[in-house]
Amino acid sequence: MLIDPSIWPKMHGASVHFPVALAMAAALFDGVGFVWPKSSPRKAQLHSAGYFTIILGALGTFPAVLSGLLMTRGEVMGHGALLFHHLFVWPAFACLVGLGVWRALAGDKVSFRGFAVYLVVLFLTAGLMGGAGYWGGELLLNS
Amino acid sequence: MNTSLEVKALRYGLLTALLSLGGTGLAAIAIPALPNSILPPVSSEASFSETVVTPELAAKGQEFYETSCSECHGDDATGDEGPDLHNLPISNARIRVMIKKGLKGEMPTFAKKYNDQQIAALVSYLRTLR
Repeated sequence: MLIDPSIWPKMHGASVHFPVALAMAAALFDGVGFVWPKSSPRKAQLHSAGYFTIILGALGTFPAVLSGLLMTRGEVMGHGALLFHHLFVWPAFACLVGLGVWRALAGDKVSFRGFAVYLVVLFLTAGLMGGAGYWGGELLLNS
Repeated sequence: MNTSLEVKALRYGLLTALLSLGGTGLAAIAIPALPNSILPPVSSEASFSETVVTPELAAKGQEFYETSCSECHGDDATGDEGPDLHNLPISNARIRVMIKKGLKGEMPTFAKKYNDQQIAALVSYLRTLR
């Protein structure tokens, strides 16, 4: 056998935590950086950390999503806990990818208003990632 | 600050997000066509959608429900001594385990009364409860 089918659940378990944690870390870094005094050099450092964590988080969604699809044989909705998991996963995936691309291209040359909108969507995305993780845990523990 | 850069980045962000979702949809269509040797088995405890709801199976399950479950969960399964069983937010595998093993101090085990096929019928019936 070329590939052991049991690799997909293991790979999903190993890869999902990165985008969840990185999205939340990005929200934390950029959220704190947003309210940090302008005069402090720490503000730029926090935004720099937020910049890299959101990009890495966006990149991390791809192996997580692909392994999840493979382990469920292409199930995108399902029912029960899997359905709830997916109802959080898909909007979170789209938002995280979109935010990662926006941040990568816009860099630090963004307006106050633009960054405030980014932060709101980022916090929403972090919440969605948390919901996806919660229902993923329910699947694992209750199956 | 550079508003045109922000808008351009927004366009690319939205486009990439949509392409990613589209790519995921295509992958979901293509994955079932992959060789079975590299995909997890369909019918196992780890599979989340293995119980197929058919009218025949659900009707059989309803008979079992009325015999063994309605006393606690109510004739219409909206709950009595036991909880409402409509729209259960847990996997089929979890429902099967609960029916088989029961819940300590709350629900008896049905492992000796029903075999796997009969429990699958029960799960099938429970999935019709919306």
